Amino acid sequence: MSAGFLMFYSVLVLFGMMLLGIYGVVTRSNMVKKIIMLNIMGDAINMLFIIIGYRLVYPVFPPVYEGHIPFDEFLRTAVDPVPQALVLTAVVIGMAMNILLSTYAIQIYRLYGTVDVRDVAHLRREGK
Amino acid sequence: MTVKRDTAVALSFLLAFLVLSYAVVEKDVMGLSKNPLRPLGEFYLGHAFASGELTSHSPEVVTAIVWNYRGFDTLFETFVFFLAIMGTLSVLRLREGQERMVRDMERVEPHRHMDLIVRVITRLVLLMIIGISASIALHGHLTPGGGFQGGSAMAVASLLLFAVFSKFTLERRGLTLRHTLGAYAVGIAIILLTVYAPLALGGRFLQINLLPGELGLFDLDVGEYLAVSFGFLSVFLILGVSEWIFRRILRGEVR
Repeated sequence: MSAGFLMFYSVLVLFGMMLLGIYGVVTRSNMVKKIIMLNIMGDAINMLFIIIGYRLVYPVFPPVYEGHIPFDEFLRTAVDPVPQALVLTAVVIGMAMNILLSTYAIQIYRLYGTVDVRDVAHLRREGK
Repeated sequence: MTVKRDTAVALSFLLAFLVLSYAVVEKDVMGLSKNPLRPLGEFYLGHAFASGELTSHSPEVVTAIVWNYRGFDTLFETFVFFLAIMGTLSVLRLREGQERMVRDMERVEPHRHMDLIVRVITRLVLLMIIGISASIALHGHLTPGGGFQGGSAMAVASLLLFAVFSKFTLERRGLTLRHTLGAYAVGIAIILLTVYAPLALGGRFLQINLLPGELGLFDLDVGEYLAVSFGFLSVFLILGVSEWIFRRILRGEVR
């Protein structure tokens, strides 16, 4: 039962992290802080996926079948491989997207000298 | 005024958190309390290494899902990765004259060393990370791992290299942006060749079971490993240009 409680507890903490990430993206005006909060949100979502795939059985195995145990026992003790496969690609794509966003922020800072979204919008209006 | 608005936003998020936690804990919307193995996961676990028509010749079920059962997903993820890398490279693109200016300015840049202990230990750790990432990627169809995981481990290695040494360490050894982009293109080419090869064998697009044994999974893992590690490395090579050099070039461009 305590394992079930830990699972609920971590799911709730991850929901909290997700909402915290959305809150940061909405309220901060600094682009770097926005990117950091977006990362926190993305990591919380990925972690949530992994937790959904976890099994609350005692000897829990990775989803790799090497013939070391009988097959029905493997099915009883292996974790769900589908969320892992989904998160695996999402993590790397998230890294690449993170690099793209940071590059934009760096370039905007080089060109305008600010990473505040309000100031950047203001500069654009003046330029017209 | 803003304090009031911030309080309202924070309170609404707190309310959302309470509703979500009530739904998860009391109403059990995510099915956490029973926590069974879902039928889809059971199908993949049962068929990935079996000897039927639906096999994928791999004891590692995650790699089997990523590249065989849900291959289209992963192929298009690779294209998303390609777009992200190309977007970064095109934002930081330099014309040929500007590249020459960068090289001239880098020649006069003062050469800095980190401490000897840091450099030696980093060299050892780098060798270990590169070996581990290669083993993760090349064994990806047998043990936990695969191209994506190996590639991101390799990206960590190149970040460490850039932090302790500099991009000049690579460029003195002859590894410039052109070479890393070439290796990236080789990775993408391996993936595309493996994906199109079943068409020549009379199958369908991405039907890599037609290739002998686990060759299809192995090829795709190697291609993805090359693509991810060298894609990140080429972005880091451009981001590693010193800030004052970039600013001087941009100043020449704007005014």
